[in-house]
Amino acid sequence: MTSTLGTTVKFEKIAKSFGVVRVLEELSLDISPGEFLVLLGASGSGKTTALRILAGLETASSGRVIIGDNDVTEVLPKYRDVSMVFQSYALYPHKTVGENIGFPLKVRKVSQAEQDKAIREAAAQVQIDQLLDRYPRQLSGGQRQRVALARAMIRRPSVFLMDEPLSNLDAKLRGHMRAELKHMQSELGITTIYVTHDQIEAMTLAHRVAILEKGVLQQLDTPAKIYNDPINLFVAQFIGSPPMNVVHGGLEGTTFKSRSGLVNVPVGGKIDKAILGVRPEDCTIVAPDIAEFKGEIYTIELIGDHTLVTVKAGDDFITVKAPKDFSGKSGSQIGVSFSKERMFVFDKETGARIR
Amino acid sequence: MKTSTYKIEKSHRSLLMRLFEPPAIGKMSFASKLLSYFILWFWALFVIFPIYWVIITAFKDATTVNQGPFYIPFVDFQPNLNAWRVHLADDPYCNAYAIGRQLLLLIHNSLVFIVSPIFTLEAMEPQICKTYLAFTNSLIIGLVSTALCVSFGSMAAYALARVEYKPKFGNIFIFILLALCTIFTTNYAGIPWYFSTAVGLALFFLLARTLGKKFIRTLHNGDILFWIISQRILPPIVVIIPVYIMFQTVGLLDTHLALIIIYTVANLPIVVWLMHDFFLALPIELEESAQLDGASRFSIFWDIVLPLTRPGLAATTLLTLILNWNEYIFAVFISTSKSQTMPIMVAAKNAGEKGILWWEMCVVIVIMIIPVILMAIILQRFISRGVLLGAIKG
Amino acid sequence: MSNSNYFQPGTSPVGFKRLRSDHLNEWLDRHSRTFFIAPALVLLLAFAIFPTFYSIIFALSRVKFTANGLRFRFVWFDNFFAQFSGNEQAHFLGRLTNISVLGWVFFAAVTAATLYWLYKSFRNGASVVGLIGRFISAAMAISIAFLFSATLLSGNPWGTLMTTLFYVFVGCTVQFFIGTMLALLCSQPISGKNFFRVLFFIPLMITPLGVGYAFKMVLDITKGPLQPLWDAIGLQNWAWSTDAWTARWFVILGDSWQWIPFIFIAMLAALENVSRDQVEAAEVDGASNLMIFQEITWPQIMPVAMTILLIRMVEAFKIVDLPNIMTSGGPGIATESITLHSYFLWRANDMGSSSAVAYLLLILTVVVCASFFNYIVLGQFKKTK
Repeated sequence: MTSTLGTTVKFEKIAKSFGVVRVLEELSLDISPGEFLVLLGASGSGKTTALRILAGLETASSGRVIIGDNDVTEVLPKYRDVSMVFQSYALYPHKTVGENIGFPLKVRKVSQAEQDKAIREAAAQVQIDQLLDRYPRQLSGGQRQRVALARAMIRRPSVFLMDEPLSNLDAKLRGHMRAELKHMQSELGITTIYVTHDQIEAMTLAHRVAILEKGVLQQLDTPAKIYNDPINLFVAQFIGSPPMNVVHGGLEGTTFKSRSGLVNVPVGGKIDKAILGVRPEDCTIVAPDIAEFKGEIYTIELIGDHTLVTVKAGDDFITVKAPKDFSGKSGSQIGVSFSKERMFVFDKETGARIR
Repeated sequence: MKTSTYKIEKSHRSLLMRLFEPPAIGKMSFASKLLSYFILWFWALFVIFPIYWVIITAFKDATTVNQGPFYIPFVDFQPNLNAWRVHLADDPYCNAYAIGRQLLLLIHNSLVFIVSPIFTLEAMEPQICKTYLAFTNSLIIGLVSTALCVSFGSMAAYALARVEYKPKFGNIFIFILLALCTIFTTNYAGIPWYFSTAVGLALFFLLARTLGKKFIRTLHNGDILFWIISQRILPPIVVIIPVYIMFQTVGLLDTHLALIIIYTVANLPIVVWLMHDFFLALPIELEESAQLDGASRFSIFWDIVLPLTRPGLAATTLLTLILNWNEYIFAVFISTSKSQTMPIMVAAKNAGEKGILWWEMCVVIVIMIIPVILMAIILQRFISRGVLLGAIKG
Repeated sequence: MSNSNYFQPGTSPVGFKRLRSDHLNEWLDRHSRTFFIAPALVLLLAFAIFPTFYSIIFALSRVKFTANGLRFRFVWFDNFFAQFSGNEQAHFLGRLTNISVLGWVFFAAVTAATLYWLYKSFRNGASVVGLIGRFISAAMAISIAFLFSATLLSGNPWGTLMTTLFYVFVGCTVQFFIGTMLALLCSQPISGKNFFRVLFFIPLMITPLGVGYAFKMVLDITKGPLQPLWDAIGLQNWAWSTDAWTARWFVILGDSWQWIPFIFIAMLAALENVSRDQVEAAEVDGASNLMIFQEITWPQIMPVAMTILLIRMVEAFKIVDLPNIMTSGGPGIATESITLHSYFLWRANDMGSSSAVAYLLLILTVVVCASFFNYIVLGQFKKTK
């Protein structure tokens, strides 16, 4: 018997269209054994479709899906040896927690004793072993989430698929479950593909993140690479909270000019319509006379460990991560300066990064 | 601050206004309350009275019925059980042995049904107390055809809700053409029906397999569903004569099986229509999850889908059962003596030589409506919870 | 993890690793789509569609019982023509002579309106199929209008067709209004709501046969419970079953007793399904109850209401039990519905004519119900979407 834990998964030029609408354009992914890959994108980006094609719930219009050594493109979902956690958890409301968890084994006609043992161990794994006789409607959101996880892991599939499993939880619980999920995945070492629209989840969970937009893969890399070295404007703006500041202007040589000021950037070229991107933590508030950009304070929000100051410079709004003891008055004139190495310039037309 | 421009002035509330204006939101004014209760109670009386009259008539005899109306038992007239005795005790075959035999036959029929039509159902013995005969007939026909109808109907409804069907337009056309040919050759050329039917079916499969691939225009699930539901428009009288002849041909007239089949078909449209809506309303993730976990379509249907639609299933079953229990026009054609159902027995009381024996008839009607009223009360609960509303909205 | 190494790679017990492939189950599962729909489809094809076509043969033949089964003689449309001419004309259509001026005026008005409607939809560029459908509907409307002016408006005796239409249109209208009114009353904040609901629902579930006999008893002039009333108004020697109009109205009375509950219960469910928020928002805005009903509740339940009416109409065309029991179709043929007409023909062993009459009922039902569905129910659904 070969171990099916930690299997490779391969997407080869998977495309999908519903009628004339193309939801996925030739997506190719290569996922290594035991990897935690997050598919990140806004709604309608095709991320869920990609997951459902992998599960076999949807058939690809073209391309191949390979799990391990097997081409499963035409294989029924039940033979793919994948399990899935749905956004709604898809717990069977008429079955107890124990019966829910044991369902995959019941389908396989595993003996009752063996089922019970496996159910108890899976439940212990997610710490719900005292809830086995309850019904899903008697559980809290977080507990339901755990039941869904236990049901997915009980038959130890080759691949875990997760479709926004945390999005129905409240913010506090979500953070907690995220940490647990990450720990469990590294314990089990099962290849996991995780779909989300939440960039924080993607950054914290993933070994690698694949960002999709309108069915096209934008960037596939580690969270750090994606944050520090975005490939285009879309990725740059999608990742990071608060999102990256953008200043509209033009690039001449190594100088970026906008209506509210000019700044030297680390790249060069001649583009009439360019966009300068800087993350809030790379901006500082300075006195207007020494600043590259001038504007007036629009709002001040105290977050806790820092203060977010939004500055209106020309038509652009620049958010600055300032110290928590920052004080100022709405409407007063102020300057913003950027850290030299952390500025990105994009072509406004194509969104491509200028390097 | 700006104040509201459009204000409804609350003037002094006169006595008259207090009569016609509700005291608070969600309350009714005195006058409309009075009127509402008056109408509702009037209607309640109108609904109850015929039922009440039937019930008290069942405890009357020839004299108390014929000598003018008597309204209240024990006050106006002395109720007695004569009419009930006629049905249940005075019948020469109404003894423990005959009823025991009847029960055995009932069990036998329920078992044999699975392998019918190889073994046709044993008709209930006609030498038994007529009331028991009709009652057991009605019961077995009603229950079996309800079970069949609900299971076949919900299977079809589920499939139409979840699986995509694309029947070819041309194939349907071929089918109709061949059906007509079969009927014509049987009736006008004198070819035996089993021969022409077999040839017709064989030809259809042959043509559908070969020619069928060339057709392009297809129908969709919605069309099939609409077609099934629209069968309800078909008046029974249109199909009953051919069905009578068909059953006569295969020797099924006056058997349970004949009535079971025709009742099943008659109620299929309702079951499909109601159940389709319940299945559509289920979250599809449950089924997808089960599918990924390795369950087959049948086990998904049995283990996940049916338990989740239990209220709808129960309501549909009750409705079908009641419709079967009350059915008259098909029974009048198909059951003559052995498989006589309750409605036929009621109608038979009309044909006496001494005029209608109202008191005897009312006993049968009372026996018929008591279980139905109980079922109606349960069914009403489902309806008031909106269980059956979805189908109408769709 | 302290509890086990159960989930570590390579430790899984054999048993439930992969699904075992079982040929029979696999085959069943792969063809499940067929098995799911086949029983219902086969039954419908064999016992609804096939008989419908078979019925055509009966309608087109003179059928004789012989020693070796039935003998069919093909007579083309003779059975149909027979219903529209000669002796049978009076039975099916009623007497069509001596049409009154009022009748002609009404007929002309309906014809003009129908033709204008047809012209308008032609101008609006309806599709070919749509136009054919409208043409059929228009033809049916004009024919019904003619029948209406020739019998009812000219004082001529009715045929079974007119009687059926009377049961359908008058019966449904009466039932719809009373049922909706009761539903509205019951949707008010009154106490004892559940009691009324259950009680009002019961008649629907009682066998039509029982309803027929119960009303025959209750309405009996000499022995029925209303006898003191008949005496008081001097009708003790009168029999309602000998007068065409009262007989018809009493059949409708029984029919309404049975079917108002259907309208009531369905409308009540629809009414209670209207969002409370919207009603409360309107109440806060100061709208009166009448206005809330007109502006919010009614438009929302209109599509459902029309669907309910359609379902009721479909069933109303099949009416047979009540007239059969209460009046046996009498006096004469005054209360005979088409189904009853066909049934009497069958009892007289005239299977050809019986099928032809049944077929005419099918055509009538399909055209009227399809028209109602297309132009009224669908129209309402489009309005709300």
